[in-house]
Amino acid sequence: MNVDNRRGELGELKSQLRQLAGSRAPGAEDLKRELFKKVTSYMTVGIDVSALFSEMIMCASNADIVLKKMCYLYLGNYAATNPELALLTINFLQKDCQDENPMIRGLALRSLCSLRVPNLVEYFTGPIKQGLKDANPYVRSVAAMGVLKLHHISPASVKDNEFQKTLKVLVIQDPDAQILYMGRVRSRDRTLGTASATAKRMKEFSEWAQCLVLELVSKYVPAHANETFDIMNVLEDRLVHANSAVVLATCKVFLHLTMSMADVHQQVYERIKSPLVTLITTGTSELAYAVLSHLHMLILRSPTLFVSDYKFFYCRYSDPSYVKKLKLEILTAIANESNTYEIVTELSEYATNVDVPIARESIRAVGRIALRRYDINGIVDRLLQFLEMDTDYVTAETLVRLEMLTACIKLFFKRPPQCQSMLGAALKAGIHDSHQDVHDRALLYYRLLQEGVGLAEKVINPKKQAVADFAESQSSEIKDRIFDEFNTLAVVYQKPSYMFLNKELVGNTESESLMGERELSSPSAHDGFLHQSEFSDNDMLLSASEKEDTRLISTGNGADAYSAPEISILDVAPAVSSSLLLEAPATVASQPKPAGTHQREMPLLPEFETPVPSSRQATPPLASQAVPMDDLFSGLSVPDTAAAAPAPPPQQLVLAPRPSLDAKAFQQKWGQLSVALTVEEKLAPTGIMKLATPQPLNVHMIDRHIFCMASGGKPPNFKYFFYAQSQPNFLDPSAQAGFFLVELHVDTARAMASGKIKADDVSLAPAFAELFRVALARFGLL
Amino acid sequence: MTIQSIFIMSDLGEVMFEKHYQGKAVDRSICDWYWSELVRAQSHRELPSVMVSPTHYVMHVRREDITFLACAELETSPLLAIEFLNRVADILEEYMGELHEDSLKDNFVIVYQLLDEMMDGGIPLTTESNVLKEMIVPPNLMARMMSVVIGEPPSSVTGVVPPSVASTVPWRAAQVKHVSNEIFLDLVEEMEVSMDREGVLSLCHVYGSIEATSRLSGMPEIIVRFHNPSIIENVRFHPCVRIVNWERDRLLSFLPPDGPFKLMSYRVKNLVNVPVYVKPQTTYQSGEGRLQVTVGIKHDTGKPIENMTVTAPLPNATSSAEVETNHGSAEYRSATRTCLWTIGRIPRDKVPSLTVTFKLMDGVDKPTDRPIMNAGFKIGGTALSGLKIDSIDVLNEDYKPYKGVRAVTTAGCFEIST
Repeated sequence: MNVDNRRGELGELKSQLRQLAGSRAPGAEDLKRELFKKVTSYMTVGIDVSALFSEMIMCASNADIVLKKMCYLYLGNYAATNPELALLTINFLQKDCQDENPMIRGLALRSLCSLRVPNLVEYFTGPIKQGLKDANPYVRSVAAMGVLKLHHISPASVKDNEFQKTLKVLVIQDPDAQILYMGRVRSRDRTLGTASATAKRMKEFSEWAQCLVLELVSKYVPAHANETFDIMNVLEDRLVHANSAVVLATCKVFLHLTMSMADVHQQVYERIKSPLVTLITTGTSELAYAVLSHLHMLILRSPTLFVSDYKFFYCRYSDPSYVKKLKLEILTAIANESNTYEIVTELSEYATNVDVPIARESIRAVGRIALRRYDINGIVDRLLQFLEMDTDYVTAETLVRLEMLTACIKLFFKRPPQCQSMLGAALKAGIHDSHQDVHDRALLYYRLLQEGVGLAEKVINPKKQAVADFAESQSSEIKDRIFDEFNTLAVVYQKPSYMFLNKELVGNTESESLMGERELSSPSAHDGFLHQSEFSDNDMLLSASEKEDTRLISTGNGADAYSAPEISILDVAPAVSSSLLLEAPATVASQPKPAGTHQREMPLLPEFETPVPSSRQATPPLASQAVPMDDLFSGLSVPDTAAAAPAPPPQQLVLAPRPSLDAKAFQQKWGQLSVALTVEEKLAPTGIMKLATPQPLNVHMIDRHIFCMASGGKPPNFKYFFYAQSQPNFLDPSAQAGFFLVELHVDTARAMASGKIKADDVSLAPAFAELFRVALARFGLL
Repeated sequence: MTIQSIFIMSDLGEVMFEKHYQGKAVDRSICDWYWSELVRAQSHRELPSVMVSPTHYVMHVRREDITFLACAELETSPLLAIEFLNRVADILEEYMGELHEDSLKDNFVIVYQLLDEMMDGGIPLTTESNVLKEMIVPPNLMARMMSVVIGEPPSSVTGVVPPSVASTVPWRAAQVKHVSNEIFLDLVEEMEVSMDREGVLSLCHVYGSIEATSRLSGMPEIIVRFHNPSIIENVRFHPCVRIVNWERDRLLSFLPPDGPFKLMSYRVKNLVNVPVYVKPQTTYQSGEGRLQVTVGIKHDTGKPIENMTVTAPLPNATSSAEVETNHGSAEYRSATRTCLWTIGRIPRDKVPSLTVTFKLMDGVDKPTDRPIMNAGFKIGGTALSGLKIDSIDVLNEDYKPYKGVRAVTTAGCFEIST
């Protein structure tokens, strides 16, 4: 379809709507409905109909609820993100907030509050205030939600209008509406009392509100053991709730409350076991996957938990392979003396599975269990069976046979006497195998063994490898962290969120997103918490003395939080229990930032922006191929190319808006590279003023595409680790986009900043240093 | 713990609906990313329900041929998202009668209204179908007839705010009235069985649920007593059930929602007897295979076993096959290399058997894979576990309601290795 056609259609719609707007002729309403439907359907298929905005509002202003509802849908799509259009709707929506129909009042208020434009806030407060006092509970709940939305756009106006007080009164009438607000904003009044009191009211909330409240309770640190038990007793029935989100949130509460009570903690495992199993067996595979991931984590923590219930993890033929893989891992983890025979029998069954990857996985799993040396004879028999079974076949499944051979020989190294005959059979079968790969590998093993068992073992099964094979690949630190993130996506993804979430993104969305977790109005408590978490992410970067600093900060702030009279328990909880690091990864670098910065692709400083002919373009493609692919070493060996290309003038460096470098890689690079340059820069006094905590500088630098990996310190000394990446050159994609790393000390007393710069590509370091220096100099001036 | 945007996609990857809950819209290109992942994974079933795109967490649920995507930029509870998407799918299915691309597109105004009421600001809000139906009228047959007869376009919009939206009993309106008052309970049990070719069970579970339909006026209080509640475990209840009473007296006491709902689900504690046996026997000889399957009653429940079916996939190397049976009907579908055997009610006087003779591809003497067979059946009138409901009492109201209990057992996931 061509654009003209569509444009013509839109024009026609526009004039039709305009004609109808004032019409009171019979049938006009029906016509309007048809037109509105058409507009909505265009919107649905993704056609931009925002041009009809004023006509839509004109038509809807005196219309019935049917039209209004459709109009709100329309507004929701366009006005919320477009400040100019939003301004047009204010009048219309404000009027509808006075409508006699509560449905219209509620919907209008919801639409109004969804216009996330900070400078329109003054128009919202009146209708929200009114809504909170509305006779109809529907409107009141929308209004409470509105307070929450308002809080994220402008916390000050929530305070000014004393919405908290009004809400406090509301809590008696509308537990749901109130709690939504509570959960998100963590209002600082003491309405909640203690977490146990809140927990007792749990049943009054809707299932979704319960999830939010449970999330809050999980962050609470009870004053004494009795309180812990009180809360657990009250919440126990949530474990049998029909909503799986409630069940998992409850499990999280239990795990966290008992973290420091080892024996009770173990009982909690036992208690939450059956609800979780119920979820995997009765839910859809999508649900089962998420729950299995959590179980997997629990089992890694406590392998004995399911020793007698291993059958729950048997694969169903109909399970999707990602669920099967997870189940195989779990089965491997829970195998011990008592169940190895059954588990291996079941796994052997899967080895004939039609699904070759799963068949491979299961043989590997048998191998891994074998290495644990339970019931070794049984397993050897089973492996032999595989062989006998497989040797008859000539075609497919070579991979499986390769796996088998390797498993056999590894077993032989573990237990030579029992396995000798089996290995003999395996090698014989392998050598006679018609498939080249299998034949070759068997022959290789055979010849290696001829050279001597010790030598063969060195080659085939070096010690390290064997360990890596069955010990869980995750370090216990990471496991613990994931555990803290129970009931989060991180568990499913099996990586703590800081490892795969772009921090820049986190920072931005935190401040932009309406529902961000951050408590804007209590920076002291929260920031302390943040530092702590940043450091624990990165403390390998810091020397011992700096760690000391951090500890001071966190305890200092923790104490602040304790003594601050207005902070509620739920607020204090995360700060006090900072060892739990509950929200840490999600809130890293969550300093407020102007909306939409991360969408800006261009650096703020126009003078350093020469987009296309970047320095790398001058490098001939052939020469650039000589750069080692592994950019870890490119910094060391790069001179070849650097020499070939003329030293690039500094202003041609463009930094990538979203470099990807995780803490580990940073540390590695930092260790490998040598200091290319040092910079020293005086900071503007306005900048220094902002530096009560390290964060403002991080935020400032992000705008210049320089990102903070870690920061910390106490006034007047702050320390930062920054990184940046040169924009990959699209004309010459083979060129490596090099990283720049900076260690920066800021002395606020002297208003000086001094830093060491390291670079993958040393030739670009001066250009980067210049960028960095200017960025520093600008801090506080913009 | 919030969801940023929801997308609903058709079977062909077309974005049918998008709804953004947090001001900033997630770009539609996330759907393209999802689709490319799907193409790589080759099948919907092989795509994990939680994924990480370069910009967002993406959680998805697939029902019929419709894909529901939820996107979040920040860490959130995966179960919250998945459970919510399932709820959206349930509600849409209930509204449209079936989840189908066309029915959703035809009723896009309703879909948008539902998405709007079910979530606000990224937090799930009203997901009870009873309550939603009071706010947004389903596009039922009646409305369509009205439009034909009276010529008035049906309106899905009501101006009514249901009293239950913000009440402390979120699942029930205050003023329910019915001419005839009735409550039905359906005991539905499903077996999950894995059996090897010798008939030895490696897995045998029975899962049950009680599906209730309540059409009772006022605010009735219902007490359900079981004859033998001790045989079940791993219970999960609808939010209306007072769990204290279950813990104390093993009875269900609740104020029911109006209409159909799932009262509880459970697992049967002890191993039960498998009512049927399915015995496969495979032999190979010079590039030809022969699969013989016999089916019969293993443990007699006294009720007839009906709708008996056996689905037997043949090895990958099969080139052609012929089927033959002494009972019911059987066919071979070459596209999926699967034999479908429909037995119906299992006869008591003979043993139904199926014989499949199949040719393997050239050069294959004996296939390497052993496909897994599936069986299906239904036993009406009995719950396999033997769970019995003793009584249903309706308190608090004067009327004499009609009460009914039914039971049915189905095969669920019944797998047999060959």
